Parts: sequence; C-alpha cells; structure tokens
Amino acid sequence: MPLWIQILPGSDEPIYVQVTEQISEAIARGQLASGDKLPAVRKLASELVINPNTVARAYSRLEQAGLVTTKTGSGTFVSDPKMRRSDAADINMLAERMDTLITRGLNLGMGEQDLIRLFESRLTKFSKKSNKRKEEK
Amino acid sequence: MSEIVLETEGLTKYYGDSLAVDHLDLEIPRGCICGFVGRNGAGKTTAIKLMLGLLEPTAGSSRLLGCDSSALTPAIRQRIGYVTEGHRLFRWMSIAGLEKFQRAFFPKQWDDKFFTDMIEYFDLPKKKKIKHLSNGQRAQVSLALALAPNPELLIMDDPTLGLDAAIRRQFLEGMIGLIMREGRTVLFSSHILGDVERVSERIVVIDKGILRAYCSLEQFQEAVKKVIFTFADSVPNEVNIDGLLHCKRIEKQLELTLVGTDDEQIAEWAKSAGAENHTIVKMSLEDQFIEFTAPANQKRLFKWEER
Amino acid sequence: MRFSSLLHKEFRECLPWMLLAAILFVAVTSVLFQTETYSENNSYRFSRLSPGTVISSYKITFYPAMSETGPWLFFLSIGLGLALGVRQFWIPNFTGTWPFLLHRSVSRNTILAAKLTAASIAFACSIVPIWVGIYWYATRPEVFAVPPTFRFFIEGWIFITLGLVTYLGAGLSGLSTAKWYTTKIFGLAFASLIIITTFSQRSLVWVLTLIAVSAAILLSRIFDTFLRREF
Repeated sequence: MPLWIQILPGSDEPIYVQVTEQISEAIARGQLASGDKLPAVRKLASELVINPNTVARAYSRLEQAGLVTTKTGSGTFVSDPKMRRSDAADINMLAERMDTLITRGLNLGMGEQDLIRLFESRLTKFSKKSNKRKEEK
Repeated sequence: MSEIVLETEGLTKYYGDSLAVDHLDLEIPRGCICGFVGRNGAGKTTAIKLMLGLLEPTAGSSRLLGCDSSALTPAIRQRIGYVTEGHRLFRWMSIAGLEKFQRAFFPKQWDDKFFTDMIEYFDLPKKKKIKHLSNGQRAQVSLALALAPNPELLIMDDPTLGLDAAIRRQFLEGMIGLIMREGRTVLFSSHILGDVERVSERIVVIDKGILRAYCSLEQFQEAVKKVIFTFADSVPNEVNIDGLLHCKRIEKQLELTLVGTDDEQIAEWAKSAGAENHTIVKMSLEDQFIEFTAPANQKRLFKWEER
Repeated sequence: MRFSSLLHKEFRECLPWMLLAAILFVAVTSVLFQTETYSENNSYRFSRLSPGTVISSYKITFYPAMSETGPWLFFLSIGLGLALGVRQFWIPNFTGTWPFLLHRSVSRNTILAAKLTAASIAFACSIVPIWVGIYWYATRPEVFAVPPTFRFFIEGWIFITLGLVTYLGAGLSGLSTAKWYTTKIFGLAFASLIIITTFSQRSLVWVLTLIAVSAAILLSRIFDTFLRREF
C-alpha cells in the first residue's frame, strides 16, 4: 500500500495539517481502503523527517474526523466508511466552502452547466474505479 | 509535567555595556526537540554558551540535568552533547583521530558501530584530516561525534548554518533519530525556519536578548496572524486591539499583524471600528517570525514607486 | 584514559615545535663542533707560519665551541617556550576550538594539566637530552683538555628553565582576555623581567630561587585565569 506524503515546510499550512489533509485525500481517492493500516507514528516520522508528535497529532485529528481508528497495540487503521460519522455541522462547513468555489466560477464567467461538468470531471479523479485502472496500467 | 532537563532563571549577560541576554526564563522538559530561533546577534550563541558554562552569567542562573551550568561536573557533561557554532574541530586531526579523542570522554556509552556507519553513510574516508574537509563534511563529522555517545541532552549551536539542503536534512534526521530513543532532548538554534518547523515541538524566540516567545510550535503558528480589514470610506486613525504588533494602512484597507488575538475579538473589533469585512490571512512560519521580530513601524528598505 | 587522550592531543600539537627546536639545536651544535676542527687546522697553519709561537690548540678550540652553544641554547629554549605558549593558549582563540575542547567530561584543571604536561614533555624530550648529551660528550677525557665545568652545565639548565618561564608567560598573556595595554601584557612582561634579572645575577642559588618563585607565580595565575575565563 503506497502512501506518498509530501511535506512543504514554509507553507502557510502547519505540517500536521499537511499530513492530515494528504492522508484524508488518499482515503477519499481510495488509495487507502478501509481496513488498511497506516504506518506507525515513529516510522512515518522518520520517513518524512518530522517530529513524531506532529504525526501523532495528525493521526488524532484523523481519528476525530472518524477516518481512522486506533486499536491499542496493533496500530491505526482506515475505518469503514459506513461507520464514519458526519454531523450537520461538517456538511454545513462543506457547503460553505463550495459556495466560495461557485462564486469564483461564476465570477470567471462560467455557466451552470460548465460548473457541473467541471465538478464531475474533478470527481472522476476520486473514483475508486479509475484509480484501480491506473494501478493496473 | 515531565522532568525539566534544561532550565534558566533570569539568565542575563552583559558584554561591557551591551546587553546580550536579558532575563531568559526557560524550562525545557525531557523528550522534546526545541528550536531556538532569533535573528543574527539576538543572543542565541551567548545563551547556549551560558547554559554550557563557557560564559559566566552577569545575573541569573541556568541548570542542565539539574546541575548548575557554572559548575557542570564531568559526570553531567558526559550526558550532554554539544555541537559548537561553525563545527570548529581540531584541524590537524584525522576523522579517526578525532573519533578516538572523543570516545575517551564517553566510556561505555560510545557507539562505535553508529559512528562508523554514519561516517560511511556520509562517504568520508576516516583517514582524511579535518583541514582537508569541506564545511559540509566537517559538519557531518561534528554531527557524528555528537550523536555517537547517545547524549541525553543534545545542544546544537546553529548546526546547519551555510550547509546545503541535503546535509541539513541529515541533521534533521539525526535529531529525529535521537529523539526516538527514550528520554532524549534536543535544543538547537537555527536561522532556517523550515528546518525548525519540520522537527521542533517547541520553539524559543529571542530578539535582542529578550525572550519573545516560548511555546509549542502549534501555539505560535496559531497565535501570530495577519488580518486585512476593508472599510467603506476611511480607515480609522486609532487602532485599539489586544495583541497588536504592526499596523499598515493601504488606502481603504487596514492590515494588522496580531499576536494571541482570537477570531472572536477580531470580529468584535471589526464591528466596532465599522469595517465592511475582514479576512484572516494564513502566514507561513517564516512570515510569522519576520513580522513577530520586526521592530514596530519599520520602514521598508526597498519601496516600489509607481511612475 | 581521558587524561591520556587530552595529553596525546596536546603533545601532538607541541610535536612540530619540539622537533624543530631539537633539530636546530643538534644542527647548530654540530656546526659549532665542526668549527672546532676548522679552527684546529687554522691554529696548526698559524703555528706553521710563525714557528716558536706556542699555542695550545685545545685552549683555542674548546672555548669557542662549547661556550657558543650557550647562547644558542638560550635562544632555542626561549623560542620553544614562546612557540608552545602561543600554540596552546593563543591559537585556539583564532581557530575557535575552545568550546569543543572545554566540553569534556573532565574538569578544567585536568585540561590545563594536560597542556602543561605536554609542554614539559616537549622540553624534556628535545633540548634537555641534547644539552645533557653535549655536556656528557664534552666532559669525556679525550675530547677537551679542559673539560667544561659543572657550573657551565647548570647555566644551561637555567636557560632551559627560563624557556619554561617564557612558556608560562606567553600562555598567561594568551589566556588573558584583557586589552594589550592593560593586564594582557603581564605574562610576557613578567617573563622578560625575570630573564633580564637572571642575567644580572652571579649567584646560581639566587637565580634558581628566583626562577622557581616566578614560575610558581605564573603557574598559579594561569590556573586562576583558565578556571575563570569565559570562552
């Protein structure tokens, strides 16, 4: 299971946020399937050359978001999507973020259909089938 | 709270009339990597030398592993690693000679294999003399010498100054590797904020000898922020908000650099000042550091002038 | 183990100067002893040119050769003392190696003791044995008709100890962080004063006492400065 995380120090996102987001994205794209084991905190820290506490913090954020579960003694695993909780507040935040994007698109002079097409084309990047196909190639 | 391995109390140092370190109070617990940042001449080297008992404080005191810095016993020194500024080693010695020299002072704890592996990893011939090494290679030897005795407390004075990205990464790897072992603590000073951000759990910011911040990296990153307020007609003359560092007016916009002001306070102030809207701009650690240590109302050195 | 490691380092730093002094001393002495044979020939020719003039060739040749080693011993000893003092206590200020050296799991006293021991060994292994060797050679019955006196031998030792006093003086000046025109000059000035005073004295006992006392003063100053100094 490849997990490729890139750390950019000097960016405006703290490193633990970078780790959290990249793992979230890998889960969303299906690169990490449910039940997959995340690398151990210390292993990932020495691979990425970052403080182990930063990795631990990222893992605990992921756990708070329900994306992973930690089993004492055996490690951190990607959780079952059915088990993930998503409360109204989370969805609300997502909707707000989409609003900003839609505003940008409309300001650029895009029509409703253009936006939908764009959304769909971006979505295929996250479809599990297309990722699998890529791997087969 | 875990055990404090490095502690300073009102540590002060004057060189003649000039103040180098001003009432430094630090408590570094066991098991963390602490980045020590400050601009050139901020007093980092002086503070480190005071901690190691190489300088005598004008006032205050410091303790390493519970032992007063001005009276560090051989037994305590044996538990402390020190990488000196500029990696000044005996130039006439070969790497092997230096290894033998250093090993004698860390009996039992010196890891022969670790040192040899590291020197081989750096692709350095052990017979080569220090004076024939490049700056980067000398730094690598210095790192290996400091890590091979597996020190409980490692203090490094600007170890990556002037080194290329690859060697800097090796220093970071070395620190991470050390901290993975139980109960090791690292304090390192650096100018490279990216390095500090990568490996530090805590940061110490000093400026002109004064301790400006000592907190977790995360706290610092959350505390320093830039907010841009847009006003309908004119920007207020008086800016009265907690934690104000800098204030810049650009036509109808007001740019504030704030420290420790929470988002609610900002929103409240925006409302009371009559701002149309405000955005909180994310800042990189480097920008935060520059803003944080810049003197108030500093003029720009170079100014773009429209013709 | 730790002390021997320090001593090894310090001695290795003294080694080039020690060898230089030894080589120079041996070279100078052999040239002087060469001159002796040369002057013997001279005296021989002289006696041939003016027969009837009785000149003891021994008398002519012994004094120039032996007595001229004295000043050389003096200058080499002072030179070695200066070089070692500078090497051990001044150069680290410029190479910036003090912090690395001082962060050792030994006391500062031990570090200083290693330096002093190394310098003493450097003296003991270079000009001292050569001087003893010269005296031994010169007192062999077949070499000189009038062998050098024991006083002459002791005078050589005074030069050697003056070299040590110079070493301590240079070391103390090197360690001092004060300005030149204030106390930094003390070490060197004190050593020079002792040397001048020594030359104006005839009594060997007095001279040896003076040197011992001044060395003790310099030594205590060096220990004091080294323990308190900031690096």
